[in-house]
Amino acid sequence: MAHRTVQPILVHFGTLFMFCKVLGLYPHDLQAFQRMHTLQGSKIGTAFVCATILAVVVAYNFLIYSFADEDRELKEAQSTLTFVIGIFLTYIGLGMMLTDQWSALRNQSKIGELYERIRAVDEQLLRENIVVDISKTSQRILIMLALTVICEVTILVSTYIILVDYTKWISLLWIFSCFPTFYNSLDKIWFANTLNALRQRFFMINTALDGMVESHEKLKRWANTGGDSLLSTRKPSIANVSIDASIEYLYKDFTHMEAVKKFNMPRNKITPIAHSLNFYGESFETPKKPYKLSIQPPSFNMVYESELSRDIEKVEENLNNLCQLHDEICEIGKQLNELWSYPILVLMAYGFLIFTAQLYFLYCATQKQNIPSLFRSAKDPYITTIYLCYTAGKCIYLIYLSWKTSLESKRTGICLHKCGVVADNNLLYEIVNHLSLKLLNHSVDFSACGFFTLDMETLYGVSGGITSYLIILIQFNLAAQQAKDAIHNADESVSAMPTTDGGNTTALMELFTTTFLSSIHTTPY
Amino acid sequence: MKHSNWFNNMPYNKVKPSAVQLHNIGYNEFLHRIPRDSSIFNDIRTTLFILKATGLLPFYEEISSYEVGPPTKPNIFYSYFIRGVVQALTIFNLYNLVTSGSAQLFSSYSDTDNVNKWIEFLLCMLAHSTTVIICARNSKSFLKIINEILKVDEDVFDRFGTAFENRCGFSLKFIVGICICQWYLIILTVLEASDSLNMNSYIFIMFNAVQNGMAAIFIVFAAALLRIVKVRFAHLNSILSGYTYNQQRKQEHFAGRERFRNTMETFPEESLFTYRMHNKLLRIYRSINDCCSLILVAYMGYAFYTITTTTYKLFVQITTQSYPQISYNVLQTCFTWLAMHTCVLALLSRSCGQVTDEANWTSQVLARVYSKSKDHQNIVDKFLTKSVKQEVQFTAYGFFVIDNSTLFKIFSAVTTYLVILIQFKQLEDSKTVNNSM
Repeated sequence: MAHRTVQPILVHFGTLFMFCKVLGLYPHDLQAFQRMHTLQGSKIGTAFVCATILAVVVAYNFLIYSFADEDRELKEAQSTLTFVIGIFLTYIGLGMMLTDQWSALRNQSKIGELYERIRAVDEQLLRENIVVDISKTSQRILIMLALTVICEVTILVSTYIILVDYTKWISLLWIFSCFPTFYNSLDKIWFANTLNALRQRFFMINTALDGMVESHEKLKRWANTGGDSLLSTRKPSIANVSIDASIEYLYKDFTHMEAVKKFNMPRNKITPIAHSLNFYGESFETPKKPYKLSIQPPSFNMVYESELSRDIEKVEENLNNLCQLHDEICEIGKQLNELWSYPILVLMAYGFLIFTAQLYFLYCATQKQNIPSLFRSAKDPYITTIYLCYTAGKCIYLIYLSWKTSLESKRTGICLHKCGVVADNNLLYEIVNHLSLKLLNHSVDFSACGFFTLDMETLYGVSGGITSYLIILIQFNLAAQQAKDAIHNADESVSAMPTTDGGNTTALMELFTTTFLSSIHTTPY
Repeated sequence: MKHSNWFNNMPYNKVKPSAVQLHNIGYNEFLHRIPRDSSIFNDIRTTLFILKATGLLPFYEEISSYEVGPPTKPNIFYSYFIRGVVQALTIFNLYNLVTSGSAQLFSSYSDTDNVNKWIEFLLCMLAHSTTVIICARNSKSFLKIINEILKVDEDVFDRFGTAFENRCGFSLKFIVGICICQWYLIILTVLEASDSLNMNSYIFIMFNAVQNGMAAIFIVFAAALLRIVKVRFAHLNSILSGYTYNQQRKQEHFAGRERFRNTMETFPEESLFTYRMHNKLLRIYRSINDCCSLILVAYMGYAFYTITTTTYKLFVQITTQSYPQISYNVLQTCFTWLAMHTCVLALLSRSCGQVTDEANWTSQVLARVYSKSKDHQNIVDKFLTKSVKQEVQFTAYGFFVIDNSTLFKIFSAVTTYLVILIQFKQLEDSKTVNNSM
């Protein structure tokens, strides 16, 4: 027998919450979380988060500044396009972290309500005798945390050892380069697990509906084989046969095989099964097993005829409740998506840009060109691989999870229809039709601020985008490089250079001049 | 008698007149009603006046507060006259554009830029004359739309005693903003010209500004119309949302079982009324789409082109070094253009997105109505079945759907074209150097 209370899923978020709290990502009240497992806003927490933001921003800028010596050389020596892109990309990580923290601050009053709603849904599911198993959550969180930490530490340490000059004490500042991504990963782990919880609840609803179908099918099969002998002896003498039929699959719900059952098979078959428990008590046991909902105590059996009218109502109520729960979960999904819409949008932008940039800089590094100091990990292909896997894994997992969740929510309609098909009677069909129309209007589509939906199509589009932009960038780079060579040649032959006389020549102009000079020797286009 | 302080989200069960009462109220009110400004005119009176004065909309008569009549003879002639003048000026500008009459305006740019600018002027004319022609052709439909909206207002007022608060104040702000931008652009253009402009150029610049402004103002008007429809959809949704299971549960919680029964009893009546209104509103929504879609296509094409070229100009201006310094005049022009067109596009896509969401929301609200009674279920089912395949979308003449994501798509397209344009620019530069060497 299930215990009649539900644990809030936040119980399993303990480790993650401690991480987020200590690092100053989330402002919520620590004591309230530990005592009651709720998320409440807290002034001290807000102040702490603000202080962290300030500290990290200062440290990060200091890091960029102290590593900028090379960048200054880079600006003079290198194609300016690379430089401009570098500056922009350097700050997008920081921007992402700030978005996460800002939305955490903004949502701190609303997010508690979200988990409260999930808990309410759990309670109602329990009332429907559906127990949601959330024990895996903490395990999953731990795995994700471990993966994140391993990735971050590997990237950090290997970059530090291989690519940073660690004889200078200032190089210790390098540690701050991993802060934005780490913060972001924590926030996304939180989001992903909440989303996963929702998906699980959709899944439980679908399983419950499937369970009904399955148990009913077994019942039917049993009735076809075992009930035949009874046919001759008993005719469907009950007056309201049609109502009987409607409750067939609810059968196990009701009776622990004590009461006399009268089953009316689908209209097109002529197998009215009426049987008493005395004969078939044993065989009944088997179809009941997979049915999770049958937790009714045996004492519940009652005079069957008098309950008939309530039976159809009971089915209806049962399905209605499931439908309402489905709707509620959809609404929670929408709210969740709304709370995290900006972080997700920024994460997707970040993933797209960083993936392109890292690959581009990897290309630059193989051509022995200088790259921005913050992207020095691109000098080593192995670190790049880990880094790309880490970033891509984060984005793809979120997209995949969102996609799966909305698929799972759409599957409910199919499961509901199976119920209708299996039971095969008019009253139930009506109910199923009515409810499936409703389900059609429960929509949960995860999107980034409404700009694009998070599904596999978007993933495909983004990967196409990365490829084409990479090609464009490499073309630019090639052109610039050829132009540079041309200038060098010209430099050697002609003493004066027309374009480098003024110190105020900007880098992009250089790019253009070099590009057009290159076309003297080769035509890249 | 002003109702603007009545919020449209009034409790849905406040007034529950029986059918008989309803009729009484309806006729009595009709006979004794004090003439008042209905809110739709209050909110968009200025916009309407500008459009009427420029010949885009006819000077209609306000027969009563819930009905407008066709324009009188002199007003029709006035509209014809204005339209004729406008078209004459357009032809004059076109003539200037193809002959050397406006050569002064193109003096300071390179070849590609000149072509860009030339196309821009052409597209502006196209957008504006499309607006004028379509408006002239659809003037009756616009009157019909206004009449239908007023009819809905009347029905809702009779039933619930509420008037709508349209919150169309934004239209005025936008119009003022557009006018300021246009004046600013005129001044900048005049200042930019190296030698003193001749008469033709002045007329050209002025009328171009008028064309540009009118095209934008019409979009603002369309947005205001959509907002008005959206407010009505939202009102219907708020009525229905009182019957959803969440609300019912809440009420059950507060008021006990008795009240709970009562509120559900009014459901058939109210929902049927809502369906009727919803259908009417959908019809209005479609006719707005029909009337405006060609104009929208023309304007969006124009705006897209302008935004691309302006961004490109901005980019060139910032990166180029061939002039002694960056020309602030050009920078300001670019930013003004960008700000104006981006804002108008954002407004358009936002209002379209909002009204579409609100119209689609109705079925989602109804999906949350759970009722024991078969009748109620059938009522719900009817509406839901009807709306399964009914696509509520605001399209630009069927070419593409206008909603919140349109802006995103436009900007990603602009980025792509920008990259291509920059590549072309490099080609052009290299060619000139090649030739000179």
